[in-house]
Amino acid sequence: MNLDFSPADEEFRDEARTWLREHLPREPRPPEGAEMRAFDLAWQQTLYAGGWAGINWPKEYGGRGLTDIQQMIWYSEFANADPPFTLNDSCTFVGNNHGGPTLMACGDEDQKSFHLPRILRGEVVWCQGFSEPGAGSDLASLSTKAVVDGDELVVTGQKIWTSYAEVADYQELLVRTDPSAPKHKGITWVICDMTTPGIDIRPIRTMAHTTDFAEVFYDEVRIPLSNVVGEPNEGWRVAMSTLSFERGTAFMADQIDLSAVVEDLIDLARQRTGPDGRRPAIADDELARRLATARAEVAALGAMTVAGISRTQRTGMPGPEGSMIRLFHGELHQRVYQLALDIIGVDAFELTGIDGEGVWTGPFLQSFAYTIGGGTTDIQRNIVGERVLGLPRVR
Amino acid sequence: MDLLPTDEQNEIVASVRAVLDDRHTLGEPLGDELWSAAAEQGWFGLGLREELGGVGYTLAEEALLFVELGRAGAPGPFLATTVAAAAAAHAGDSELASSLLSGAARAAWVEPGPAGAVVLDGPGAAVGVTVGETVDLVDLGSVERGAAPPLDEHTPLERTTSMPSVVASSGDPTDVVRVSVLLAAQLAGIAEATTAQSVEYGKDREQFGQPIGGFQAVKHRCADMAVRAEAAVMQVRMAALATADGRSDARFHADAARIVATNAAIENAQWNVQNHGGIGFTWEHTAHRFVTRARLLAGLAGGRYGALADLLEQPPAA
Repeated sequence: MNLDFSPADEEFRDEARTWLREHLPREPRPPEGAEMRAFDLAWQQTLYAGGWAGINWPKEYGGRGLTDIQQMIWYSEFANADPPFTLNDSCTFVGNNHGGPTLMACGDEDQKSFHLPRILRGEVVWCQGFSEPGAGSDLASLSTKAVVDGDELVVTGQKIWTSYAEVADYQELLVRTDPSAPKHKGITWVICDMTTPGIDIRPIRTMAHTTDFAEVFYDEVRIPLSNVVGEPNEGWRVAMSTLSFERGTAFMADQIDLSAVVEDLIDLARQRTGPDGRRPAIADDELARRLATARAEVAALGAMTVAGISRTQRTGMPGPEGSMIRLFHGELHQRVYQLALDIIGVDAFELTGIDGEGVWTGPFLQSFAYTIGGGTTDIQRNIVGERVLGLPRVR
Repeated sequence: MDLLPTDEQNEIVASVRAVLDDRHTLGEPLGDELWSAAAEQGWFGLGLREELGGVGYTLAEEALLFVELGRAGAPGPFLATTVAAAAAAHAGDSELASSLLSGAARAAWVEPGPAGAVVLDGPGAAVGVTVGETVDLVDLGSVERGAAPPLDEHTPLERTTSMPSVVASSGDPTDVVRVSVLLAAQLAGIAEATTAQSVEYGKDREQFGQPIGGFQAVKHRCADMAVRAEAAVMQVRMAALATADGRSDARFHADAARIVATNAAIENAQWNVQNHGGIGFTWEHTAHRFVTRARLLAGLAGGRYGALADLLEQPPAA
């Protein structure tokens, strides 16, 4: 047990800090559409030009290949640089943290050499086509069907909750290729070009007013069989191959970001008049205790993150304990924004964007996603109960 | 940067567990055999510098020890004696320090109350220890003490109508932070032990033809308990290392550890009773032992509200 950074890590921190100071965009991120896509890709291109793209990708795939500790340093330097946007709130997220890593794990040489450089260089946007109206928490029951016709798959069905579908070039798509097999056995993971005829995208407006969510409809969409990643009917295993990637460091940025949010909120509570109309908000006992509790819990979240890195260093693979961090973070994130609305009084009547400095109501609305997206907290609790604690799985 | 114990630290934990398994039964009072083994293994001075009579490890190893004491639900003045030994050593009373370190003398915990103080483990104690802005040693003979029935069965309780007089004060400001870390460590141990009890019961106990741990109502409570315990244990380690290294944010992390570990111990101990159903409500079962241990430890050294107020006064962590 120790809290020391190596001299190399300290040097790395200086390098990251200097680079971020010189290259971090200062303008706010456009909330939607082509402008948003252009902003996100421009940032990815800036990262690429500076040698910072793919910090969690191995060097053999053109990534920076940073250690987990260095990634943590990078994320905390990013948060300390006072950025006008959050790192994971980007249409480049799926390519960087999901599609790309899946290709690295299961793709063939042609797929890797075509797609990975384009993702890294910030030329393309990827989206995800996993959930369906009838397949949410029970993802393996998905029913969008794909029939082999010559050297093509013909896809018909519907996906939902696809973030950034309207601005995406490619989609990681799960389809049912063998309806007679047990539900986990007949699924195929395929790369879908979003410009293919037969795709219809209908935006979904969320409770946070964002429109980057969409339903995607497929009417006899023809996808070359060469776009299948892994073997046909092996798609469930392919989809699970990135689980350890997700458990690892993909969400570290969110955790570090939350620490900065809590510190901003404490500063705000010192400056703002509180509920009695006379003293600062922080003089209110209830608000003060909730702020202190949030500060303590964010510190513990950081300690859990470091512990996760320590475990990965020993075993070479992130373990199921990562589910504990996601569960704890999602609910803590919500509590922090609930507290923020209690502190800002009548300012909470005004709607803000979901991103940026000094905004609270937009992120409050958006915070509801943190216990639903990527597996609801109920599913996270199943994972902790079954895979960490070894409790029986009963269906 | 590493929050997992080294091989040497794992060996310390293993030897502590072996002693506790061998000489302590959950629900039984502190036995002389455990106390003398603890003294022999240097538990009361594990993190104290060798020139002051300690073993010369750091607060990191000491925190690992106190997690184990919490997990075992061991009653007895382990914390008071450890804290008093360091305070005596830092105050220059080497005679008292060495008799505390050797286990020959025991210390009582003195917690100020609205009218006087409460004394824990008072009978037979050579000295009292109390924690405020500093760690103070107090003269137990300077006040009248009246025995009262204790909530935690094997922690003798006495009440006084005034604070006993201070005889020495530790000049080392780290001693106060150290108390927070060690309290948090014991509480984190309770959070872990109660999670383990509930998980074991969830696998064994069958109703409706299946182990109850398969039901989401029970499974999800166990998952929440595991998350609280993990958060508490890891923040305790973070705080112990920050304090041992003399970092400027040591107090921040120690307060955070106290808050997270106190909530974890109290919540987990309560849910552990619920998870056991009727058997959990019996005197015979040990689940209630953790409820009363958690409540006792939660209220020491100013309690949770004290830690919350102190944390908000700290500058942000480095």
